Amino acid sequence: MDSTDTVSTDVLIVGGGPSGLAAAIHLADSLKKRGIDDKRIMLIEKGNAIGSHNLSGAVIDPKIFKTFLPDVDISEIPLDSEVTVDKTMFLTETSDNALPFHPPYMNNIGNYSASISKLCKYLAQIAEDKGVEIYSGFAVEDVIYKDGKVSGVKTKDTGVDHHGKNLKNFQEGTTVEAAITILAEGTRGSVAKKVIDALDLDTGCNEQIYSLGVKELWSVPEGNIEAGTVYHTMGYPLQSGSEFGGGFIYGLEDNKVALGLVVGLDYKDPSFDVHAAMQVWKQHPFVSKILEGGTIQEFGAKTLPEGGYYAMPKFYDDNLMIVGDSAGFLTTARLKGIHLAIESGMMAAKAAAKALVSGDTSKASLSYYNELFEQSNAYEEMYRARNFRQAFDKGMLLGGLQFATQLITGGAGVLGRLRTEKDSEVLMSLNAFTGVPFAQRFEGKLEFDKKFTFDKVTDVFYSKANHEEEQLCHLVLNNPENYNKVNIEQYGCPEASFCPAEVYELHTDKEGHKELRIHAENCVHCKTCDIKSPAAGITWVVPYGGDGPDYEYM
Amino acid sequence: MTIISLMKQVPLPSEMRMGEDGLMDRTKAKSIINIDCGYALEAGIQIKNENPDAKLIVCSMGPPSFEESLKKALSMGYDEAYLLSDRRLGGSDTYATGLAISTMLKHLGFGKGLDEDFLIVAGRQTSDGDTAHVPSQVAENMGIPQATFIETADLVDGNIEAKRIIEGGYQMMKLPLPCALSFTPTGIDPRRPSLSGAIKARNSEITVFSIDDINLSDEKIGLSGSPTIVAKVANIKSERAPVKMSEGHSETELVNSLMENIKSGKNTLEVKEKKEKKEKKRPEGFEEIDFRDGASGILTWAEVVNGKISRPSLELLTPARDLANQLEEDTQVTTLLIGKDIQDLAKELVAHGSDEVIVVDDERLEEYRILPFSEIFAQVIKERNPEIALFAATTAGRELAPRIGVKTDSGVTADCTALEIGEHINRKEKKIFAPILESRRPTYGESKLATILGFVCPQISTARAGTFEVPTPDENREGIITNFEPKLKKKEFVSEIIETVRGEGGLQSLFDADIIVAGGRGATSDDLKLVQELAAALSEQGVKAEWACSRPVVDDGTAEYARQIGQTGKTVRPKVYVAIGVSGAVQHIAGMKESETIVAIDHNAKETIFSNADFGIVGEYQDILPELIEKVKSGFTFGLEVKK
Repeated sequence: MDSTDTVSTDVLIVGGGPSGLAAAIHLADSLKKRGIDDKRIMLIEKGNAIGSHNLSGAVIDPKIFKTFLPDVDISEIPLDSEVTVDKTMFLTETSDNALPFHPPYMNNIGNYSASISKLCKYLAQIAEDKGVEIYSGFAVEDVIYKDGKVSGVKTKDTGVDHHGKNLKNFQEGTTVEAAITILAEGTRGSVAKKVIDALDLDTGCNEQIYSLGVKELWSVPEGNIEAGTVYHTMGYPLQSGSEFGGGFIYGLEDNKVALGLVVGLDYKDPSFDVHAAMQVWKQHPFVSKILEGGTIQEFGAKTLPEGGYYAMPKFYDDNLMIVGDSAGFLTTARLKGIHLAIESGMMAAKAAAKALVSGDTSKASLSYYNELFEQSNAYEEMYRARNFRQAFDKGMLLGGLQFATQLITGGAGVLGRLRTEKDSEVLMSLNAFTGVPFAQRFEGKLEFDKKFTFDKVTDVFYSKANHEEEQLCHLVLNNPENYNKVNIEQYGCPEASFCPAEVYELHTDKEGHKELRIHAENCVHCKTCDIKSPAAGITWVVPYGGDGPDYEYM
Repeated sequence: MTIISLMKQVPLPSEMRMGEDGLMDRTKAKSIINIDCGYALEAGIQIKNENPDAKLIVCSMGPPSFEESLKKALSMGYDEAYLLSDRRLGGSDTYATGLAISTMLKHLGFGKGLDEDFLIVAGRQTSDGDTAHVPSQVAENMGIPQATFIETADLVDGNIEAKRIIEGGYQMMKLPLPCALSFTPTGIDPRRPSLSGAIKARNSEITVFSIDDINLSDEKIGLSGSPTIVAKVANIKSERAPVKMSEGHSETELVNSLMENIKSGKNTLEVKEKKEKKEKKRPEGFEEIDFRDGASGILTWAEVVNGKISRPSLELLTPARDLANQLEEDTQVTTLLIGKDIQDLAKELVAHGSDEVIVVDDERLEEYRILPFSEIFAQVIKERNPEIALFAATTAGRELAPRIGVKTDSGVTADCTALEIGEHINRKEKKIFAPILESRRPTYGESKLATILGFVCPQISTARAGTFEVPTPDENREGIITNFEPKLKKKEFVSEIIETVRGEGGLQSLFDADIIVAGGRGATSDDLKLVQELAAALSEQGVKAEWACSRPVVDDGTAEYARQIGQTGKTVRPKVYVAIGVSGAVQHIAGMKESETIVAIDHNAKETIFSNADFGIVGEYQDILPELIEKVKSGFTFGLEVKK
């Protein structure tokens, strides 16, 4: 058991989602094309297995597979069903009306619904077959630097008790030295966040803003919904003007339904609760009739980086590239990021292959990644929609008009570049918020029967989330002494509301004394707390590898 | 030195499903390293860390899919991995498994002489078998000393010093090398592999043997090499309706809700009408076989602890007598009593139902040690030729029975909860084997009841402590007391007991209590103070109350072993059992599930305790208990009548 446990590789990819796997596969392909077979590609995934931490709607634009997997016929890829019915519904509390037109960019006919967990498992097999070494169940804690440049990563030490003391089964993390490190951690990557900060990669960018998506997978009686049917809902239960987002309902094979509610985290009500809002949404007749007689199979949640083009950090540096959600590759206007994640992974792979051949992995060399991006479909798509989300500050319908104008004007709209504020800073304190608090808005709809509607704890059970007890709590209070005064007293502990997995509990004892309790074992790794907690109250750090949810068909 | 870790891969217990054919379907469940085996793997690494020259090897027997777990062992730090994998091994019972594994180890060059330098570490038992037999059987086959139920072990001056968990406390033992140790899942948690370990494992080869490779003939394994068969597996139907959870937003509301729930009663299960079973007719024209071949009588072991016969050994006389009654009229119940100055105890055994007591009184045998005790049993069995041998499933009984089984070529059934005489009809061969001992034991995390039959005498079973009543003693009962002088060699005494530590008395009051308040790991932040206060408040109300705890609480020293409820502790059935901060590990549930009413309080709604409870509160115990204690002080007694 060496105390300096070090391995080295040519390329290290952190994260086994679509972008990381695309980078791995395309890099193996690119190197092979160049006749190079002595380069080591290593991919590390924190989930217990590839796919276990991947969640998406998902409806995928399949065009990307033609360039990504040119030798594979689309029928071989484990997508779910081809979209044949695609409707956008506008809901009020009691009614539903199909919009007579698709909101811009939202046409899904010809796209495919899919389970991203399953797709990633498939891609991992392809990667392995091409010689990529995949290690799942290992958590990367941070990158390592050499002369101020990224030179690899270190995995997390294990065998530490909850005070941080080494136990007898202490196992030091492994240092991985890599010529190129590609961060593909997904949304709000905990390592990417540190690197972006350390290397000032977000200078001059808009603040990244996020949405939180809460999803359930159901099994329903035959006939409730056909596979290939896609509904998006606007309106109820969200408030136009202050809450951005909507619902999705996708009919899948074997009478399964994927459904969820996605809500922008720039809402102002400190008591707003996306998970509860989804349960309210499920009670709307349009949704409830689809679920009638069914049972829940899985639950999960994830955040989506929605800042768009202007919020993307500089996604390359010396020996470093950032891909997928970690770099903000997502078009909110299309509710899609998987094809962009794959494309970003491919572009990074091309840059990596070129750099490995020339032996130059410097910033200058890797700027090829950015060059490729500026000529790419991804760029075209993201640039056109660059002010989409910002436009919706004015509400869904007005925002829709604003966005339509943007499309006509090539994305600039009438206002040019729109600014955003951090999601945590948009949140209002209890005193400042003058709207109707969440619980009051949905009075009578927040008692969950645990059969059709679920409290968070019941839903978490269906995520199969689990965390070992013997470790430092992976949710770090940044200013413990400040927390009660600010987050509890001024904001009423919004963490307890916004966390979809009941990790945070505000406990009030008989004397009225309030304290935060953290149930880290429930965490589904959505990172909303890291994004939305007022006064940057909480930092999400990676727990032991293998901990977290265990998604199968999300 | 070589450290050999025996490891089994098992289906994740929570994912096991019953297949349509009534057998367990393992294919859909994820596979893991058996929990106890993980602790053995870690124990091996701990010893290696102190002795860097040691080589770590891991061995397993099973289908090729076991390579996944062997790779994991390699990634934890093991140097070499071996897998015995052969279709012909299918159907092997523990006896045949022990033989096959020993043969593989001998093939690898171990077990040829006594002065070798190796150590076998294994898990105590597997979650898909729960027998705890194989380590003992391997040790006997290898001809080496053993210690089971070990928590931690160190190599000190060439000897193993190990802490062995026993009823009421622990023992420090010293064993020479080579020896075999089996580990409980309470020692040092298995480490997570490092990435560098996983990289190394990826590039390592696993050596796979077929039975031909190790010169093992197929008659000795599989169904033909197994003295026992699983005759039947039935579902154990949960008799508990879903839990009634308290609702409320504060401690006061939650506790009030609990009181109302208890008042209004438990949820009830819908009872489906059972189809009447047709009486199976005994087929005609079948050959009836009495395989006992002259073996007769029932032999039991009277375990002596602190100079007294242990309660489980007295309980054993109940099924022994029942079985004797079901057999031929003159079937004798004989009890073997081994110890120092124990002549007086023989009469007590007669009073409880033994027809004959065989006494081995020897000052070297004051404390139980497996090598001389198993040798004495082998000699007595050879002389007396009993058809059945019964042991209480204590830590001693569970290691002793399988070791004896190897000496007598018998199979063993572990941890039985029912023993009956029946018959076995083999329709294929048109034979009826009768009379035969039907040993029934819960398995698969207490969800199934398996019936095991053995076809070699003595048919050996161990019976779960607390399952049978102690027979009412009759001081006037007459019986024979015989002295027996075994021939024991020096080598039976190579392992030493350095120290035996037992906690305060037997705490019999736990068996008599009407309400037990039990604290688990989740209730220890105040050293169980609130748990004890609740029990005390109930006592003050005039209820027979006692407090107890789960295994981890004993392990961390917060409570003494005598208060431990569960498979390795006490089995209790009070009117009300209040579990506080108890996660609901299978081992704990086994010790309290017969309670009339179960109340669970824990902060984690996902804990399995709630699926074994009638009433539940999700909340922090530090908040709930003070409120609950107040209510008890003003008269709430969980629905129990107060005797003035």
